[in-house]
Amino acid sequence: MPSRWADTEEDAAEEAQRKAEKKRIKAEKAQKAEKARLAAAQARANKPSNDREDDSDRPAKRRRVSEEDDGGQDERTEGAAERKLLRWEVPTWSPCRSASLFERLNHIEEGSYGYVSRARSKDTGEVVALKKLKLEPFRDGGFAVTALREIQCLNASKHRHIVDLREIVTSRAGGQGSGGIGDVYLVMEFIEHDLKTLLEDMPEPFMPSEVKTLLLQLGSAVEYLHDHWILHRDLKTSNILMNNRGEIKLADFGMARSVGDPAPKDLTQLVVTLWYRSPELLLGTKIYDGAVDLWSLGCIFGELLLKDALLPGKNEVDQLSKMFELCGIPTEDSWPGFKRLPNARTLRLPPPGKAQTGSIVRSKFPTLTNAGAALLNSLLSLDPTKRPTAKEMLSHPYFTEDPRPKPTAMFPTFPSKAGQEKRRRQDSPDAPARGDAPRLQGDLDFSSIFKGRETEEKGGGFQLKVG
Amino acid sequence: MGPPAPPLHLANSLASPMHLETSLSQLQDLPRNVGHAIRFESARLTQAAGILLRLPQEVIAQAIVILQRFWTGPDGGNPLEQDAKDAAAAAMYISAKPSGTPVSAKQILTVFAYLASLRGDYAKAQPANNDSQTAELHFTQGQYEVARDRLYKVESEILRVLGFQTHVALPYTLCVNYLQTLEVFQSIGGSKVAKRAIAHLNSALLSPQLLYLTHQPSALATAAIYLAAREVDVKLPEVEWWEVFDVDREELGFLVVGLTSLEGFASECKQAFSHQVIQMTAEDLRLEMEQQELVQEAA
Repeated sequence: MPSRWADTEEDAAEEAQRKAEKKRIKAEKAQKAEKARLAAAQARANKPSNDREDDSDRPAKRRRVSEEDDGGQDERTEGAAERKLLRWEVPTWSPCRSASLFERLNHIEEGSYGYVSRARSKDTGEVVALKKLKLEPFRDGGFAVTALREIQCLNASKHRHIVDLREIVTSRAGGQGSGGIGDVYLVMEFIEHDLKTLLEDMPEPFMPSEVKTLLLQLGSAVEYLHDHWILHRDLKTSNILMNNRGEIKLADFGMARSVGDPAPKDLTQLVVTLWYRSPELLLGTKIYDGAVDLWSLGCIFGELLLKDALLPGKNEVDQLSKMFELCGIPTEDSWPGFKRLPNARTLRLPPPGKAQTGSIVRSKFPTLTNAGAALLNSLLSLDPTKRPTAKEMLSHPYFTEDPRPKPTAMFPTFPSKAGQEKRRRQDSPDAPARGDAPRLQGDLDFSSIFKGRETEEKGGGFQLKVG
Repeated sequence: MGPPAPPLHLANSLASPMHLETSLSQLQDLPRNVGHAIRFESARLTQAAGILLRLPQEVIAQAIVILQRFWTGPDGGNPLEQDAKDAAAAAMYISAKPSGTPVSAKQILTVFAYLASLRGDYAKAQPANNDSQTAELHFTQGQYEVARDRLYKVESEILRVLGFQTHVALPYTLCVNYLQTLEVFQSIGGSKVAKRAIAHLNSALLSPQLLYLTHQPSALATAAIYLAAREVDVKLPEVEWWEVFDVDREELGFLVVGLTSLEGFASECKQAFSHQVIQMTAEDLRLEMEQQELVQEAA
């Protein structure tokens, strides 16, 4: 087959004829259009120029565009002026500025990946959050890959519900042999609260309308990340910041990385803080996707309602047992193929029919509407393929039924701990440290986890052994 | 209202006019052609190392763009102070590290040591297959530690100079996407056009005009397709199809000339340095230049 765009002689002849015909029609049309445009211009000239309601010149313009479409080549000279090419604001790069341009005000928090403090820019007076990275070139093989990914992911994520990374500054330790750039600080917008501290200090949990607003904001941030092929991998309430206008911003991308399709082969299972870690990660899956973030969202949803962590496991095994207690024991029906996951081989589950395989989310949250419980249940599906995507979550009926999401401007304000005083040390576990994912330890008997749930059921628990 | 924010995954940070005015080749103590040659040679070295390390071309291309950024601008690297081969190794390390195909410091150092032994003739590079070769390249623990510390140091220096701007959007997938849009694959020679276009995009990484630092990936992809189609003689639409990809005629023309001129530049480079090796360490480079000065004074 010749090229689609190749010309033969017949083609050329035909083309010429068609062109001549078109030209004639075009000329007629152009004449008409010109008349219309003149008339429009006349009309416009007679009107005050700021009269935006009356777009009397619009029709003529539109007609010209459509003519150009069926017009082909000979109209080009006239059309050229009309065509607008997409142009972007072009960013550039410049070396890191010095950290001495910022004056430290107070310490906010220390996490596994760095110390955060509140600081003021000496140039602009603006208050920012400074996150000092913990760098140990020997341990990390140069500049830590997690820090590199955090910076790359934050740079690639510009969204109203994701914390804004302004720049990176360094305290360049001078002289040779000092090993490079000294300390590295991420300069980010300062946000007054984190959801974890806020929940601890609030006398009452958030109202249903407020929970919806928070979840919608969070969902939109996660949707944005997943759309851009980024997994956050450490969603939890202490990583969600909230300002005094009821807006939340996702922070701490220390675990984030960009992925592709198919997923990269070197994904680690040791991600997400234990309480928010999904069952497939606990069972040692080598390949996972955005569904791990959706599980975390489910845990956060529950925590917003309860004002307390939904699944506060003491260790990996306890985490699994808490999960199964709430969501039911997985079966080949509810989660096809889960038994083939590396850590599932050592999992001894009660025989089918003897234990609870259904979820008790409905009864645990009696005040939640049916739609709300359905959403929570789907986010907490043990089978990752049954969890909704962030986009699907956002269009869930829960968000459109009453009570409607509360406008952020109507949110109550709270005194900021980060802004004023030293913060208490968090008692939630940290994100997992680098290294090999541990196998599930111990030989634990889970038979007691269903006590009080199915009183008629005796024994029939399950055991976990490390093989 | 200003222009819209760029789609971050498709757009690159570009060199500013200030960057270009004060680049490597304009450094006072470095002749222009030597500056160009070092850029070219260090990019070639990176490409060769990436192939030996079996890295995907995306990772290699990103490393070369990072390296080119490092050589650019008033605060950029100076090959009289910074060994060009170390900069290339560190750029490769930075690029591979967060990717799906990370490589260890040891792998990088070994491959670069091997390539240094070839003295510029990278076409000869073979994956190590005999024992004598690997034995030669074996570092002692002490040598390795020194080399590794230098790698880490250059790595953080590059990150600092770039302000951590290591994101590189590449034109390869856009190129395939555009070819599909133009229905090129349905014509005879379609896949040949694609191969030529990709080859042009790879060559452009070595361009002394820094095409990847001055043009967005969409423009590079469009120009590569335009040129490839003409070379293979496959017809493209007779309208200004490049405007569909938001490239204007002027930019297209400039890029096509840039892509075409590369071969000439490369052979010129090869000829000019036929009797000598382009020095890839700061010390050798300084010595070389002192010698040349002496020669010139004597003449």
